[in-house]
Amino acid sequence: MSLVLHPIEKTMIKILKETPNLTPEEIAERSNLSIDQTRRGIEWLRLKNLAAVLESEKSFVALGKNGLASIEEGLPERKLVRLIENQPMSFDDLRKKLLDEISIAIANAKRNDWITIQKGESSSVVSLKQKPDQTSEEKLILLVGKNKIPVEHIKDLSALESLKKRPDYIIIETIKSKTVSLTDEAKVIDLDSIDSGAIDVTADAPVIFAARTHPLKDTINEIRETFVSLGFTEVLGNFAQPSFWNFDALFTPQDHPAREMQDTFYIKGKTAEKFATPSQIRQVSDSHKKGWKYDWNVDAAKKMVLRTHTTCVTVKYLAENKPEEARVFSLGRVFRNEKVSYKHLVEFNQVEGIVVGKNVSLRDLMGIQREFYRKLGLSKIKFWPTFFPYTEPSLQTMVYNDKLEKWVELFGMGIFRPEVTKPFGITRPVLAWGGGIERIAMLKYGLNDVREFYNNNLGWLRSVPKCQ
Amino acid sequence: MPVVTLYLDRLQRLVGGKANKNKIMEVLPFLGLDIEEEQKEFVRVEYSPNRPDYATDVGIASGLQGLLGIKKGQVKINIKKEKKKFLIKTDGSVKKIRPFISAIIARNGKLDDESIRQLIALQEDLHFGIGRRRKKASIGIHNLDSMSPPLRYTTVPKDHEFVPLASNQSVTVKEILENTSTGQEYSYILGDNSKVPIILDAKNHTVSFPPIINSALTAVSTGTKNILVEVTGMDKNAVDDSLSVVATTLQNLGFAISDVMVDAKSSSEIFKARTIPLDPVLVNQILGLDLTVPKICDSLKKCRLDAVPRGKKILCSVPRFRFDILGEMDLVEEIALGHGIENLSPSLPPSISVGEKNSVTKKLDQITSVMIGLGFTEALNSSLTSKQVLYNYTKRDSSEIIEVSESKSLEHTVLRDSMLPGLLENLSKNIHESYPQKLFETGVVFTKGHPINETVNLACVSAHKDTNFTEIKSILQSLLKTDSSIICKTNASTHPSFASGRTAEILVGEKSIGVIGEMDQQVIDNFKIRVPVSGFELKLSGLIFD
Repeated sequence: MSLVLHPIEKTMIKILKETPNLTPEEIAERSNLSIDQTRRGIEWLRLKNLAAVLESEKSFVALGKNGLASIEEGLPERKLVRLIENQPMSFDDLRKKLLDEISIAIANAKRNDWITIQKGESSSVVSLKQKPDQTSEEKLILLVGKNKIPVEHIKDLSALESLKKRPDYIIIETIKSKTVSLTDEAKVIDLDSIDSGAIDVTADAPVIFAARTHPLKDTINEIRETFVSLGFTEVLGNFAQPSFWNFDALFTPQDHPAREMQDTFYIKGKTAEKFATPSQIRQVSDSHKKGWKYDWNVDAAKKMVLRTHTTCVTVKYLAENKPEEARVFSLGRVFRNEKVSYKHLVEFNQVEGIVVGKNVSLRDLMGIQREFYRKLGLSKIKFWPTFFPYTEPSLQTMVYNDKLEKWVELFGMGIFRPEVTKPFGITRPVLAWGGGIERIAMLKYGLNDVREFYNNNLGWLRSVPKCQ
Repeated sequence: MPVVTLYLDRLQRLVGGKANKNKIMEVLPFLGLDIEEEQKEFVRVEYSPNRPDYATDVGIASGLQGLLGIKKGQVKINIKKEKKKFLIKTDGSVKKIRPFISAIIARNGKLDDESIRQLIALQEDLHFGIGRRRKKASIGIHNLDSMSPPLRYTTVPKDHEFVPLASNQSVTVKEILENTSTGQEYSYILGDNSKVPIILDAKNHTVSFPPIINSALTAVSTGTKNILVEVTGMDKNAVDDSLSVVATTLQNLGFAISDVMVDAKSSSEIFKARTIPLDPVLVNQILGLDLTVPKICDSLKKCRLDAVPRGKKILCSVPRFRFDILGEMDLVEEIALGHGIENLSPSLPPSISVGEKNSVTKKLDQITSVMIGLGFTEALNSSLTSKQVLYNYTKRDSSEIIEVSESKSLEHTVLRDSMLPGLLENLSKNIHESYPQKLFETGVVFTKGHPINETVNLACVSAHKDTNFTEIKSILQSLLKTDSSIICKTNASTHPSFASGRTAEILVGEKSIGVIGEMDQQVIDNFKIRVPVSGFELKLSGLIFD
């Protein structure tokens, strides 16, 4: 791996090669980098194992208030010998000059054997014994002066100890400091040979998000492609439909609970005037009268509803085209007047396929289902009987879901009742199947709340993988 | 869909034979029952509203006996004539209010709590389904020994008093209609007549106030041995169909069924089976099988129907309570069930056609891919939205509003006539996500017409601190050019959702196809968005497809 260094890092390595062991402050001073840049650089180098940072404590010696004063004035014992240099002085006179320092001056001068004390008439008399040399303490005071001196620079530690005993003479200051040094690895780096165009490719890049189709749309498209690949042609229809095509044409009696406002969205104040041919209306009316034994009312058929299934689109296709053979599907939004919950939406997508043919049978319908699910990657399926108002016989597909470890009910299917097809002149069997798409998409994306599809939460849209 | 709880010990006992619980569990779905919940002691199954007899375990047991081959053929109602005729006299005054009544007697049975619970559930299902919320038919089940025959089905004024079920106080009909939840829910059935239907016994005690409530006097309990079932309603067929289900269920529970004379007519007439001729060729064609006539007859018998060959046809006998069977096709389904769905092997017919997407779908797929290429993420919003989002927040004119009736959800009451409000709402819910945020949507919008016009629109929004008119116009130009080589112009205009001086109408040739601009600050504030937003919306119908 080729080594890539930031300009800051290069500068710092250069300086440390010249002078090993520097503090961050020293590096900043020598490099013209800011202290922040320096600290960042030290961190980078440390992570790359190019620099070692030694954290250490360093003690410094400085003089306190009395120590500083003694540079000029001398220590108290020195002041004392100066006073008696020419003639002895009485204790009382000395006290007047030396004030508080009298005791310490006498004690130290006596210990150094500089003076003799004789008893006088009123007070004792102090006289110089010999001219004293400079003491080690005095030397230390001059050495430190007004500076801070590292403790290790002081050789006469006993002088230091003895001065420390005097009040306000010595201050010991301990400073924590970092010392940066190059590792062996860094010491051999040839700065000139490093390619100056390279960057740190391992560093994190800013996060951006790919624009994408909606995950539910991906599932819709996959299902649409599956229908097309099975030979089905797509037909579209309006969302708003006359009740005639949504209900009456599908043999739903006009007093059926599904037609009530609490299940179906009626569009306020909207009725369709021309919605079917007079013959279609008559045939449907007859079918209802015969099958359900009531007087069919054309006004109820005119009321506009939001389609409750896509079957209205396929049945209208059948009525208008009367095909002998056909494979057709319709996919799109459908509406139910429900309370919205994690399970239910008022508006969702449904797909429905139909097959018209001379000899098509329930077994064929089951076969198409099996193929449809196989193409969607669902291979473990079985069929159970069920009930739909406009198909007979009716079945539902149960699909085994590996994630949930159980059988899940998916699309319903059946053969259109003759009461549905005969009024429109369709005599051949019409196989039909379909169901909600969100259900499949929820399994695919592992969602527990169907509302997520319509929240357009960017956090989810930006994170959910395209490939499931 | 209604649900019934089945206690497995009880069910096993009712089914009889050698059927064990596992076998029963395996067969249940093949009666068309969806298993909702499975426990050690019980199972809850969902049944179709067209089979109200499956509201009780005795009904389901009867179906299971057939599929398991324990008992086959029709469950006939064995209706005896009462030695001393039990009479219900109808008064002419009921004709305009609730004209029909039918009844039977069920004798010498035992009811336990579970049976009573199931009977009530059955009754409610019949009320809701075939009874059409008690309008066409409503059922009263009474303790026969609590009343004195003959009964009278007549009408009374609303100050008539009696003690209703589950009460110990005498109240007037008026109070029941106005103060009880059942009264309030069903009083509409009685219209604005000054009188209401009532069933009285010989001592003028109230038996029932149909379709609202029974009297406390005739309440059924676990000690009840003999039962009277009466059904009243507006529809003769619904009344008799309902009665047949209850009668069959009571017979299955061990009661002996006998007739009631309604005026001069015995209710035994009601339970005659229908005969439907069936063509075996049709059966085999629809199922894709090659079943022999005896095999077809056996399959029908397994579904508790009777069948005999007659010439080239099969005569199938269907009991009254199977009113879900309308014709031949329903019998074909019964044969599929009797034969066993698991015995039908799927076959794949060769396709004679080449499939194709609709041309509109294709065009939408293309324009979607261009929007993705321009860096916009696809959003999906409901066509049904709220007035607040669609008009109030966006400051748009609501005079052409299209509403739906009685929506259960306040957020879904109005059909959208524009896509931009939905996208702005999406932005308002994403203010904690990183910017830039760029969204688009294609979909149907609705406008008033004859009766409703549906057109396909495309809208997009760009939200970030530097967005402006120029950015969004670049997107628009590039979109139309890349998608369909369309050149568009933008001419200064005004729009309540857009900032004045920074909005334009989109023109292709001389035709206005949409609006573009920077969103109005007040609109942005209404949606609590904290960055500038620009966007456009255009009509695709008539532009890239018809």
